[in-house]
Amino acid sequence: MISPESARSPGHATCPDDASPSVGASLSFITAWRRQTARRLFGNPELVLAAWGGAWLLGFGACYLASSPRSALAVPGWLAYLVLGVSCATAGVVSAVETVRPGRGVVGPSRQVTTLYWWSWLLATGGLCLLMLGLGRAGLSPALLSLAWPGLAVLVSGVLYAVGGALWQDRLYYALGAWTVAVGAASTFAGAPGNLAVLALAGGGGLLVMAVVMVARRTNRWAEA
Amino acid sequence: MGGGVSTKAAPAVIPRLDPIIHAQPRLRVVVALATLGERDQIAFPRLQEVVGMTAGNLSTHLRKLEEAAYVKVEKTYRRRTPVTYISLTRAGRRALEDYTAALQTLLTEAPSLTREEDGS
Repeated sequence: MISPESARSPGHATCPDDASPSVGASLSFITAWRRQTARRLFGNPELVLAAWGGAWLLGFGACYLASSPRSALAVPGWLAYLVLGVSCATAGVVSAVETVRPGRGVVGPSRQVTTLYWWSWLLATGGLCLLMLGLGRAGLSPALLSLAWPGLAVLVSGVLYAVGGALWQDRLYYALGAWTVAVGAASTFAGAPGNLAVLALAGGGGLLVMAVVMVARRTNRWAEA
Repeated sequence: MGGGVSTKAAPAVIPRLDPIIHAQPRLRVVVALATLGERDQIAFPRLQEVVGMTAGNLSTHLRKLEEAAYVKVEKTYRRRTPVTYISLTRAGRRALEDYTAALQTLLTEAPSLTREEDGS
């Protein structure tokens, strides 16, 4: 049984093995340890959002600067596509590492849901590439393709974020999905190359803002626990 | 450890702290398992990595938790390799909830509390 003295003395979470820690120490230990283990077992979704937010902001932003006649910064087309490719590849690697590595050694329903959910992203990306190839072969003009593919890519991402929000009952994540769907669809109304600016700022910026909000929410949640 | 703190005005009761969970290494194991979903299991080496214990230490603490029916240890085969999976039982999850609630009660109401054994 815990001593009344120790019950009144909050201390540090680190206690020698098998010793009876104080009440305050035990509570702060539980809070800190929950946070640590959750990060180890589930990874950092905020990091994935930030990586994709940065990729869209940089990639679509560079493409806009390369194709806009009003751009103050002259960016060669090859460089813009290189920036888009490298930033998206980096974000893809961050997503894979943050999804696969933390979940190793864990089996059960929630792991299955996570695995299938991330396979959906690969399926959607592959399907979208095939769709664009098909539309190109069918004679869709490069001007329309450049308007359709980035908008569709962002829209599909939004749908998947919303599905993620529904699966994990996370309204914030669902709201991010709804916002991203709206941005992807609305970008086409800006015409080319304005659509790229919309996707970079509202799409990429939206993901970055959400990453910050999620970090703040997690910090508050653990502080309240 | 012995005498309780009592007040005439508010004879509240010091909640019992579960001695199985109160030991920090076992608390570490139980909290780690509680972050998983209800029907999820974790392989022994992965749990060992997460909680940062030696295999012997972890086995000892798991045995105590298993005796209290707080964890379930399942030995099986995965691709012909023996593997041990550990999960938190409902009783274990409940015990952690009760333990946390008891700690909170102690922290907020400690000065006005008296011991359960005192019969108040």
